Amino acid sequence: MWAETIVKVLKENDIRSISFLPDTVIGKILNYAVKDGSFELITLAREEEGVGIVTGEYLGGRRGVLMMQSAGLGNSVNALASLAIPYQIPFLLLISQRGELGEFNACHVTMGKALRGILDALGIQHFTLRREDEVEITMRGAIKTAYTSEQPVAVILSSELVGWKDEK
Amino acid sequence: MINRLEATQYLMRHLTNEPVIASCGNPKYDLFSAEDRKENFYMWNSMGMASSTGLGLALARPDKKVIILDGDGAILMNLNSLTTAASKSPPNLIHIIWDNRSYQITGGQATHTAGKANLAQIARGAGFEKVLTLDTLEAFKQALPKVLSEPGPWVVVAITDNCGAPGRPPKSPTYIKHRFMEALGSRR
Ligand SMILES: Cc1ncc(C[n+]2csc(CCOP(=O)(O)OP(=O)(O)O)c2C)c(N)n1
Repeated sequence: MWAETIVKVLKENDIRSISFLPDTVIGKILNYAVKDGSFELITLAREEEGVGIVTGEYLGGRRGVLMMQSAGLGNSVNALASLAIPYQIPFLLLISQRGELGEFNACHVTMGKALRGILDALGIQHFTLRREDEVEITMRGAIKTAYTSEQPVAVILSSELVGWKDEK
Repeated sequence: MINRLEATQYLMRHLTNEPVIASCGNPKYDLFSAEDRKENFYMWNSMGMASSTGLGLALARPDKKVIILDGDGAILMNLNSLTTAASKSPPNLIHIIWDNRSYQITGGQATHTAGKANLAQIARGAGFEKVLTLDTLEAFKQALPKVLSEPGPWVVVAITDNCGAPGRPPKSPTYIKHRFMEALGSRR
C-alpha cells in the first residue's frame, strides 16, 4: 500500500526524520513511520518552520523529509524562496493535495489549483503520484534528484491515489 | 541596555567551534564584525527562520551546542517555532534574542516588544524552563558561563540598544553553506 511504500523508500534513502503538519493522508504515513520506529518525528505548528528545521538538519548532516497538506505550501513559500533554494538545501517535500478530484470543501480548492503553479514559479521540480505502481519509483527518483541537484523536490499525493472523503 | 556588538564579541570569545546561526537583521552584522569563522551561518533573508534552522541543527547534532542569534522582529514572525523547540527541548540549544524593541534594519520602527509583548514570558508560555532576561552587559557576562555549560534549552532575551555594526558578512548563500558544513563535518 502507498503509505507503507513511502515509509520504506524514505528509510532506504537514509531519511532520518519526518517534520510534519498532519492531515488524514499524512496521518496514514505517520502510522507506518511510528511502527517502523527509526524516524524522529517533529510535529510542526506551522509548515514554514519545517523548511527551517530540515535546513538545519541538512546543515548538520542529517536528512529530513517535510510533509504537509497543499494548504501548507502557502505557509511555506517565503522560506522555500529565501532559504532552501538560494542556500541549495535538498529535501523531499511531500504534499498531500486537496482541491482536485472529489473535494467536498470549497475552501481547499483555490490552494489546490494553485499548488503546481506556485511550485513552478519557485522553480521547484514536482511529481504527482496517481497510481500505486508508480509510488516506489517516483519516490526513489525524486529523492535522488533532490540530493543531486541540492534543491527541494516535491512529490504530490493525489486524491486518485489516496482517495477522498465521502462527505458531501 | 546592552550594546549588541560588545555582547556578541564577548560571546565569541567564549566559544570554540560551536555553530552559530545569525538572523537576517543586525545579528548577522554583529556576528561577522565580532568574528568571522566557518561555523557562522549568516541568514540574508528568511526572516524568522533562524530559530527553526537552529532547532533542526540542534536535533541533528546533539554533539554540538547550537547558538541562535535572533532579533525580536524575526522571532515575532515565527513565534510558533518557540512552541516546537520547547516541545522537542534539545538540551544543546541556546537561543539568544537581541531585543532592541525595533525593526532596526528597516529604519527603527517599533516592534510589539516596545509595546506590550514580553518575549521571555512568551518563551515560558511556549514551554521553555530556562529563560533569562538580561539588560546590562555585566548581567550578560555573568550569565553566559552558566548558559554555555549547563544543559538547556536556553532562551536568553537580551535587551539591546540600536547601535549598528560596521561589518558585512559574505553574501553568497552557497559559500556560507559549504564552509559551514565543512566545519561541522557534515558534507557527504
Ligand atoms: C518576510 C519579510 N518581511 C519583511 C522583511 C524586511 N526585513 C528584513 S530584516 C527586518 C527587521 C528584522 O527585525 P529584527 O529581527 O528585530 O532585527 P533588527 O533589524 O532589529 O536588527 C525586516 C522587517 C523581510 N526580509 N522578510
